[in-house]
Amino acid sequence: MVTSAAMNDPQGAKLRLAVVGCGAVATIHHLPAISVSETVEAAVLVDADLGRARALADRFGVPEAATDYRAVADRVDAAVVALPNSLHAPVSIDLLRRGVPVLVEKPMAMDGREADAMIAAAAEGKAVLAVGLDFRFFDSSLFVRNLLRDGLLGEIRGFDLRQGVIPRWPFATDFLLKKETAGGGVLADFGVHVLDLLLWWMGEWTEVDYRDDAQGGLESDCEMTLGFRSGASGKVEISRTRNLRNTCVFEGERATLEVGVWDPDPEITLRIADREVALAGRARRPGGEGLDFTDVFVRQIDDFAAAIREGREPFVPGSEGRRSLDLIDACYAGRRPLELPWSVLPAPAGREIPS
Amino acid sequence: MSLENISGAFAGRRVLITGGTGFIGGRLAERLVLEHGAEVRVLVRNLAAASRLVRFPVTVVRGDVTDESALATAASGCDLVFHCAYGTKGSQKLRAWVNREGTRRVLEAARKARASRVVNLSTLMVYGQTADGDLDETAPRRRFGNHYSDSKLDAEKIAFASGVPVAVLQPTAVYGPYGGVWTETVLRSLKAGRQILVDGGRGLGNAVYVDDLVSAMLLAAVRDEAVGEAFLISGEEPVTWREMFGRFARMLGDGPARTVDMTADEALAFWRRSQGERPRAVGEALRILRQDRQVRERIQSTREVLWLRETASAVLPESWQEAIKARMASGGRPASRAALELPIHPLPPPMIGFFRAKTRVRIDKAKRLLGYRPAFDFATGMDLTERWARWANLL
Repeated sequence: MVTSAAMNDPQGAKLRLAVVGCGAVATIHHLPAISVSETVEAAVLVDADLGRARALADRFGVPEAATDYRAVADRVDAAVVALPNSLHAPVSIDLLRRGVPVLVEKPMAMDGREADAMIAAAAEGKAVLAVGLDFRFFDSSLFVRNLLRDGLLGEIRGFDLRQGVIPRWPFATDFLLKKETAGGGVLADFGVHVLDLLLWWMGEWTEVDYRDDAQGGLESDCEMTLGFRSGASGKVEISRTRNLRNTCVFEGERATLEVGVWDPDPEITLRIADREVALAGRARRPGGEGLDFTDVFVRQIDDFAAAIREGREPFVPGSEGRRSLDLIDACYAGRRPLELPWSVLPAPAGREIPS
Repeated sequence: MSLENISGAFAGRRVLITGGTGFIGGRLAERLVLEHGAEVRVLVRNLAAASRLVRFPVTVVRGDVTDESALATAASGCDLVFHCAYGTKGSQKLRAWVNREGTRRVLEAARKARASRVVNLSTLMVYGQTADGDLDETAPRRRFGNHYSDSKLDAEKIAFASGVPVAVLQPTAVYGPYGGVWTETVLRSLKAGRQILVDGGRGLGNAVYVDDLVSAMLLAAVRDEAVGEAFLISGEEPVTWREMFGRFARMLGDGPARTVDMTADEALAFWRRSQGERPRAVGEALRILRQDRQVRERIQSTREVLWLRETASAVLPESWQEAIKARMASGGRPASRAALELPIHPLPPPMIGFFRAKTRVRIDKAKRLLGYRPAFDFATGMDLTERWARWANLL
């Protein structure tokens, strides 16, 4: 329930947030951003592990720690939901119905149906629902979107996106390693970011041919051929076992554009067709500097706060967060095994390896 | 009993693997699930490393091999334990402690869980610096003077004394997809600099493809004759180090430019020089020298360059010295591609001895008692490794 003085005094007090779920992303990204934001403050940290919530509350100067979000929901202006994926929908829906605005971590839900229920709950509770697809807040992401929308590359003939890192993420729990709590493997975890960017840049997708390496568990590598309504078709490869180039290359009629997709301040290279000199640099707002992830999360939380105050849609509303989930659902539904040509089983010495 | 005949031996059995997020344990978990229908549990210290493992329906228990409570949970109800974990973090002393104490605690957990067998992964290095000629399991174990091999030797003793039926495997250089020391590290090293081939690389490298080692582990878990025994596990035939490094270098292209022949004395002198000077001094100076003629002329009379010349004449083969001269004269443009593109990695003295030895590891005991038959010759194993390395963006 939104009752605090902050709502009636847009220039005054900060919005008071509950951070629900105190795992790695809350620790590394949300809490540092909230602590430097001028528009929000953390009022209470909620985690099933009270010791963890208390330790983080001490570290970030948050007055209260709790184990049940329901006990604090009516004392805050909004909530950041950073729980395991399987809890995103039920907890967000409950909060939204109570009228508490929610910024939910990515992926917003386990599938498109859950996302629909969240969007409906936001309408019902007249509360803002924002999705933590923070990569959209990179200046580079907006720059690429503008460049493509304005048609500066000419017609896009194809694209090639390779995103892969061997993770060093400081897991607080093992939820990302289980299908029932993660929903999916690398596609749902890393893939949701880069697919969201692609859909934001390129528009509506029309067809997908998807393969991954799951064999009774969660995929760690996947690739797809993805076609768009515009007629452009390209390849996407996503990995959490390999360090890939982490860029997307767009082949346009007039120029080729390469942009980093795993870095808040990536290099962007523009090569004009049939010209030997290329331009390489970084996207900047006037007077702006390169972003780091704290800057990005501050932008995200400030946009969330502004949406609540101004009664407008956030930069990434539920309907936008849903788009990549639809594509991910289609990928899993049409899944085929990824060929791993080195992974032959033992055979007599000298046996021919299938090529 | 050969590998074909053990199908069914693991079906439905609950198996614990330590080190299951690693190179060997990971492939073992994969094959136990996919080929043998085992119910696999893995003790995982670093959850971020488990991505590849959870592609399969395995149970992850969070903890490390020194955590007795996590071990008890993980081993509970397990009939079979494969102990592949070893210390990979922290100081050498800490790693050695993990190797000894971790093995003791894993065996204790296995004993309490009434496991019928533990397969303990050891190493060829428990035999110390090996001599020319045949080596089999009757050779004396020797301390090698480094924490890893000495602690693995102690771990073998701890395992055998545990009262649990134990089989120990002593693999040679294990390579293959997702391989560390003998795969990815070699590729990274050859990318960054040149490998010294001691005595022209005529020493023998005993190596085993990961799937052959995993097959041996499966056999050691099943064969009654394996209990209380240690087995050397290697490929059918050794290869020369020239073949080994040459094959990796070819994956990267420009193979010959990534290795350099030296005698053992030259390699030792090069090592000593490298220890006495700041790292990269040679490379930096050469880079500056290559920039332009004026810079070259100005700095060629400096003390550093005089030292560099002396060093070069002391440690570099004559052919190289000629190449340097030719290159300097040509303004830094190499006379040939092979010349001076990459710095040389100095080899510590024990490694010089290691690469010089013509040891031939015998696998007769594993063949006789386990029915072990290497299925991957060097060419096949390396072809598969190359396919993986290309996919993994390492080439």
